[in-house]
Amino acid sequence: MVAIAVRDLARHYGAVHAIDGVSFDIADGEFVSLLGPSGCGKTTTLRCIAGLEEPTGGSIAVDGRVMSAPAQGILVPTHERRIGMVFQSYAVWPHMTVAENVAFPLKVRGAAAAEVTRQVEGALQTVGMGHLAARHPSQLSGGQQQRVALARAIVGSPRVLLFDEPLSNLDAKLREGMRGEIRRLQRRLGIAAVYVTHDREEALSMSDRVIVMAAGRIAQVGSPKDLYRRPRSRFVADFVGKVGLIALQRGDGGWRTADGTAIRAEAEAVAGEAALGAVRPENIRLVAGSGSAPEGVNCLPGRVAEAQYLGPFTEYVVETAGGSLRAYAQLDLEPGAAVTLAIAPDDIVLLPAE
Amino acid sequence: MSSGKAAPRLAGSGAPGSAAHAGRGGFVSAEAALRALYVLTFGTVLVLVLLPVSALLYGSFRTTAPGQAGGEWTLRNYANLTSDGVIGTIGTTLWIGLAASAFCIIVGTALALVVHRTDFRWPQTMTVLIGLAFYFPSFIVAMAWIIIGAPGGIINAVLRDGLGIEWIEFDIYNAWGIIYVTVLHQVPFVYLTVRGPIIHMDATYEEAARAAGATPAQVMRRVTLPLLGYSLASSFILVFVLSIEQFAVPALIGIPGQVTVLATQLYLLVRFTPVDYGLAAAIGLTLSAITGAAIWVQRRITRAGRMTTVTGKAGRVAPIPLGRWRWAANLFCFGFITLALLLPMAILLYTSVLRWFTANPLAGIYTWRNYVFMWESSSTWSSFWNTLLVSGIGAALGVALGVMCAYFTLRVKPAGHRLLDFAVVLPFGVPGIVIGLGLLWAYAFLPLPLYGTLAVIVIAFVTRFLPYATETVGGQIVQIDRSLEEAAWVAGANRLSAARRIMLPLIAPSVQGAYFLLFMAFFREISAAILLYAADTKVISVSIWSFFEQANWGQASALSVAATLVIFLVLLVVGWLVPAGRRF
Repeated sequence: MVAIAVRDLARHYGAVHAIDGVSFDIADGEFVSLLGPSGCGKTTTLRCIAGLEEPTGGSIAVDGRVMSAPAQGILVPTHERRIGMVFQSYAVWPHMTVAENVAFPLKVRGAAAAEVTRQVEGALQTVGMGHLAARHPSQLSGGQQQRVALARAIVGSPRVLLFDEPLSNLDAKLREGMRGEIRRLQRRLGIAAVYVTHDREEALSMSDRVIVMAAGRIAQVGSPKDLYRRPRSRFVADFVGKVGLIALQRGDGGWRTADGTAIRAEAEAVAGEAALGAVRPENIRLVAGSGSAPEGVNCLPGRVAEAQYLGPFTEYVVETAGGSLRAYAQLDLEPGAAVTLAIAPDDIVLLPAE
Repeated sequence: MSSGKAAPRLAGSGAPGSAAHAGRGGFVSAEAALRALYVLTFGTVLVLVLLPVSALLYGSFRTTAPGQAGGEWTLRNYANLTSDGVIGTIGTTLWIGLAASAFCIIVGTALALVVHRTDFRWPQTMTVLIGLAFYFPSFIVAMAWIIIGAPGGIINAVLRDGLGIEWIEFDIYNAWGIIYVTVLHQVPFVYLTVRGPIIHMDATYEEAARAAGATPAQVMRRVTLPLLGYSLASSFILVFVLSIEQFAVPALIGIPGQVTVLATQLYLLVRFTPVDYGLAAAIGLTLSAITGAAIWVQRRITRAGRMTTVTGKAGRVAPIPLGRWRWAANLFCFGFITLALLLPMAILLYTSVLRWFTANPLAGIYTWRNYVFMWESSSTWSSFWNTLLVSGIGAALGVALGVMCAYFTLRVKPAGHRLLDFAVVLPFGVPGIVIGLGLLWAYAFLPLPLYGTLAVIVIAFVTRFLPYATETVGGQIVQIDRSLEEAAWVAGANRLSAARRIMLPLIAPSVQGAYFLLFMAFFREISAAILLYAADTKVISVSIWSFFEQANWGQASALSVAATLVIFLVLLVVGWLVPAGRRF
């Protein structure tokens, strides 16, 4: 069943189109990330679902009930939407204790005292904050405040969970731990979740599906693996990971680089006379000197332009006839060294040249 | 990304959605209540601010006094502004204001630098004493210094009787006397406005200058002071406004010395023959135009300064060693406190227990009769009672209105909030006595029996000090993350209940602060009341004023001592009630 249905959503501020015709469905229990650079409209989309922002067009329905549809004059106010939301700044109320914070959504909706106590205890146990119920937020660390915000969002069984870059204020180590925890919790509760982030690792590691946004529109929707392995545009290829691009021209019988080297790619064909072959650095095998590759594997000669030693491997930037490519290797090479790059055909994704 | 601010639907923003949800979860009723509150706030502010201003404008084009039958439209009042007398008064007002502000800035900044930037030994003590001086009413300082410096005052008595010097006669009744007392009274204001920027200045700027080879003196002159430029300019303008709109000091010192400024001229035109209400109105508008323009410039400067102001984390700067100049710094700081606070208090105590005034304490006949009289006088009791009513209840009304204005203009931003914001800051530029005159005009025409009541005094005070409340509360509202309220909406609270349960508790400290500020301001205020009081609606400040005008120094002093005691008592109670470090 569809938990959230967004159709042609638009949010225009005068001439500025923060969101411009965005549509997607989120299934029950599904975890979907909105990924994109700042200004792409992902936070605005989330805030429209929450009712904190007023859309200027399209519609949003949650569990089949229309929440906003400007054309019909429908706008359900935030406090009637029964959503749980975790804010970037946590927004844990500083004048209430941890328990009071978590109890608030139940109390304003008129739950009985015994019920409030029971549910607050349950929610705090779930996020591992039961022992700190009497504390004030100022006595908590950032990670603990994050847990309080999480408990407050899940208490009172919301229909959807919304996350607005909730981990961006935490340090790297804590962030990785919280990713797993949020995902486990969401899976257990089985509530649909929308997660806004600009961090591709976060989006890829947590989501069932990722919606990549750019300039107020959806650039591509897909599973994390799909997006990473089969991007459909240079923007998406670039945004979800490191990528090298080979400039290709249509030659006799296939694609060729500027110096005529034939390149075989087993992805769907691209119309037009020019294309880009996108390759992830980890899919390039780098050999010193002029080597040859087994039959059917693309072979590109090049020269090392830059080398960055990163510990487990060295990241090389290699100049080839098709452009500069990134490759990881455990070899030690100096800049200027001649190398050969071997790339399997199905590791090259053809993208339309812009 | 979240550049789009959620604009809650409210009056006039064209909310087609509301109707669709009638009957669901009390949304409409909370919305309606919020809208009603907004309309009420808006209406009250418009009446409070626009009524006196427009009445004044009307009055300035009339030939007769307010409430008088007959009269006709005229431009005569404006023509009279260009008479030699009025032009001279404008000149006097401006130069006294500029001179006083210049001295205030120099002394106040120097105090703040010595106290907070050097290894001065008593920064805490000094901060408390300057705070006390800040709350010490200007008319009490003026009275004390008149007792000291008038032709029949202490200095001359010491010169003549003590030292036998006849050829010097000291006289405070002139422009320099006004400037002197104004500086004593307003230096604490400068100190309090520049101390924040001085304390919170990013230490790395100065450290970088030190690293580049500058001596401490060069750092001060070439880095510290220029960085403080915006704060100093803003403080200078505010002090200038305070200096030209003040009434008590130029009235007490200037009227006997025949030095007239706009504020006192207005008063003389209304209270003494030949009475000319029309010209008084035109003068009031002129004065407001000057102060209004100055406030406008000040706001521009603060806005520009916000970009470059040195905020961020306060680092500990190594204090500048005073070395062999320590004695000079001590003399400067405690000398100022002596002149502005301790000496005036001592003189008033002394005068209050004398039967007849004499400068020689050994020749004095001491008595409690001033205090006994004060205790037994029903009019004194009623003026104390009036003051407590006006300050206690009036300040509460003012703060309540201020909280709503700040919340609506800064957070909800419904249709018309810009006009509201403008109306709220307008009284910043309108001197107290001008508001008094405006109300005098306004209530002479309205069929409300307000004239001669305490209510009209409360109205005048609330109008005059409303910006103080909105600025204090607004300053805290803007610092409260928007998502704190949004989280409450998400949690199921409607806007009204979120404002009450989240916003209000979070801004409580500034609400308390604003109440205290207004209470103190109302307690000391004289200029807005001087044209509005009637015999049974006298407030303390006006009573002290009347006694002093009747040359009853003893009675005026006793009452001043009592009033000062109340002020310091309130300060003590507030310091004790409000915990220094809150939980959040």
